[in-house]
Amino acid sequence: MSSDRRLHLEWAAHQGRDCLQITGWTETELRELAGQDTGRLSRRLALYPSDALDGPKNRPAVPTVSGRFDVDRDRVSFVPRFPFADGVSYSLLIDRPGGDCTETWDIQRPARTSAPAAKVMAIYPTAEVIPLNLLRVYVHFSHPMSEGWAARAISVHREDTGESLENVFLPPEPELWDAERRRLTMLLDPGRIKRGLVPNLEWGYPLVEGTTVSIVIDPAFRDATGQPLVAAERHTFRVGRDLRTRVDLSHWRVIAPQAGSTTPLSVDFDRPLDHGLLLHTLSIRDAMGNTLEGSGEIGPHERSWSFTPAHPWASGQHQLAVEPRLEDVAGNTPARVFDRDISRAEDNPPANAPDRVPFFCDAPAH
Amino acid sequence: MVDLTSSTSLDQLGLSVGTPSIRSVGPLAFGPEGILFVADNVGASIFAIDPGDTGTGEPQDVNLENLDASLASYLGCSRDDVAIRDMAVHPASSNVYLSVMRGSGDDAIPVIIRISADGSIGDAPLENIPHSQYVITDAADEDDPRLVTRMQLRTVTVTDMSYVDGLLLVAGTSNEEFTSTLRRIPFPFNGEAKSNSLEIFHVSHGKYETAAPIRAFVPYQGNTSILASYTCTPVVQFSLSDFDDNKHVMGKTVAELGSHNHPIDLISYQHDGSEYLLVCNDRHPVFKVACKDIDVQGPLTEPDDSLDVSPADPVTPGVGVPRQLLPHPGVKRMANLNGSGVLMLHQDDDGAHLRTYATASL
Repeated sequence: MSSDRRLHLEWAAHQGRDCLQITGWTETELRELAGQDTGRLSRRLALYPSDALDGPKNRPAVPTVSGRFDVDRDRVSFVPRFPFADGVSYSLLIDRPGGDCTETWDIQRPARTSAPAAKVMAIYPTAEVIPLNLLRVYVHFSHPMSEGWAARAISVHREDTGESLENVFLPPEPELWDAERRRLTMLLDPGRIKRGLVPNLEWGYPLVEGTTVSIVIDPAFRDATGQPLVAAERHTFRVGRDLRTRVDLSHWRVIAPQAGSTTPLSVDFDRPLDHGLLLHTLSIRDAMGNTLEGSGEIGPHERSWSFTPAHPWASGQHQLAVEPRLEDVAGNTPARVFDRDISRAEDNPPANAPDRVPFFCDAPAH
Repeated sequence: MVDLTSSTSLDQLGLSVGTPSIRSVGPLAFGPEGILFVADNVGASIFAIDPGDTGTGEPQDVNLENLDASLASYLGCSRDDVAIRDMAVHPASSNVYLSVMRGSGDDAIPVIIRISADGSIGDAPLENIPHSQYVITDAADEDDPRLVTRMQLRTVTVTDMSYVDGLLLVAGTSNEEFTSTLRRIPFPFNGEAKSNSLEIFHVSHGKYETAAPIRAFVPYQGNTSILASYTCTPVVQFSLSDFDDNKHVMGKTVAELGSHNHPIDLISYQHDGSEYLLVCNDRHPVFKVACKDIDVQGPLTEPDDSLDVSPADPVTPGVGVPRQLLPHPGVKRMANLNGSGVLMLHQDDDGAHLRTYATASL
């Protein structure tokens, strides 16, 4: 091959796909390359990510970038099996026919540039005081996010000492996202929350009772386009005592609306409940057991819920139906305590877990 | 091995030729006739695909240092953009399969990597292949008139799968309720397949009963037993015969793994006529348990911190099933190399490495 000719590498399209196009070959080279079959061509020409090279003239011990070379008139094209990656530099290595020398040509794929746009919209629970055995935290983002950042970009700090609390969360592998990748669920390490397990006995709870702690979302968290957050987000709460009783429906306070109105029904809970589950575990049934159409809304600190019916309330008996999987923020449900002390009879699961709260809509007085 | 190119065979397995809409790749498991099950947690589905692997042969040791660098080069990206999610060995060809995500966010590409016995790297095509799909999302939610939001928030993230006698067993973690359910999905996915879930509890130290998501599990003893690890670290055994009638299954806690340590993967293997289990962890090295010891082990009734001794010393704790720590730290995934050895995917400061260990050396 000629040593004084200069090859020109550029990004192009080939049969509708991105490819790397190489021009500047001598007539002799083109004739020789055009006569090669695919196998021989891939022994003469090889593409690698530049950071895979351990020297400018040596073929590295790793495989070449998967794809194929095509020779067409005055140009050679490389069509990759997988699309080229943004911001990555690639090196084309060309072996001389005798194999005694290799020349290297580099080209960089442009990096994607766009301004950060994603924000943290909310962090749940929002109660000012959360129990020592808090099980779960939800982080809502404004945009779809990338996976792989939860362990690096979410931290918990004590406000009084500024100390960072370690090993609070279960390692998020795999990360728990909703379908749109906008809500992340972080579980606090259940081994440290459950009584009697070695992690709980040796390290204690992930949080410290009586302290004020902050959950901090670092702006390094990447959205689905690879951009960081607009700003960090911080959510602060106080840590109270642990909560280890079943969710008690008999202590819920239902304010029944008047029949004929579309006034919202409102329910005050006996404790803060899990925000995610509240979104779809409560419903309203009429006297016949039919589910009413309408819209539910979660109240402040996840301590209440209201329901606005699509049609005016009928007079008579109704029921608030509660799915047994509804949890409080410490994982207790109406059916069971999160970690049941077998010796406590009052913690035994009831034969029929309560799942209805009746209420009555009075007809308006005339 | 049947000829999967024949339409009769495809029908029998409930497969049709086309391009599966795989959005992500996670846990892997091989099923009958070399069918590969691929969990797609972004797409809330499990795909059964024919990887087009008709090879047969004795398993060969596979050793690849700096596997992540090789994958990055093959996939044309930086090492940071390679995420190895799971590993499985083809039952007939003994080729090694990896589920790999290249890149993240909008640019993420799911890839099924195939590593041959000679160490060469390729990938299983995911276009125009025989496949079928099982949707694992709670579809009922989408039409629920009670929903405050129409966004599909509730998901199940598959953490491990195993195929046993016509059933695909699937462990998953909900992003909402904290439960331990093991789905049993009949294969073929014939359109009428119903998931039958079991709730599995365990008792810690004879005092506290609880449920927790199963993180990883492995069938053993001819598929009569399962050893499972929970997110809260205990290792629990239960019998598959308990599955027949029960909705609630009580597991026997046989070991705890120690502080800040979480199990990642479990496998079983045979050596000298005995069966053993290996558990790899995110902090502790791999430990080994003899299946016969699990049978005679009573439920764990006292806390056991015996694993906090030096990992260099083999451990036979006084309480809990006897365990031996193996000198293999940083193991992220394991697979039985069809009886001849055990494959371990190591992760250290230099990167990821695939190494084969003869069963006699473990």
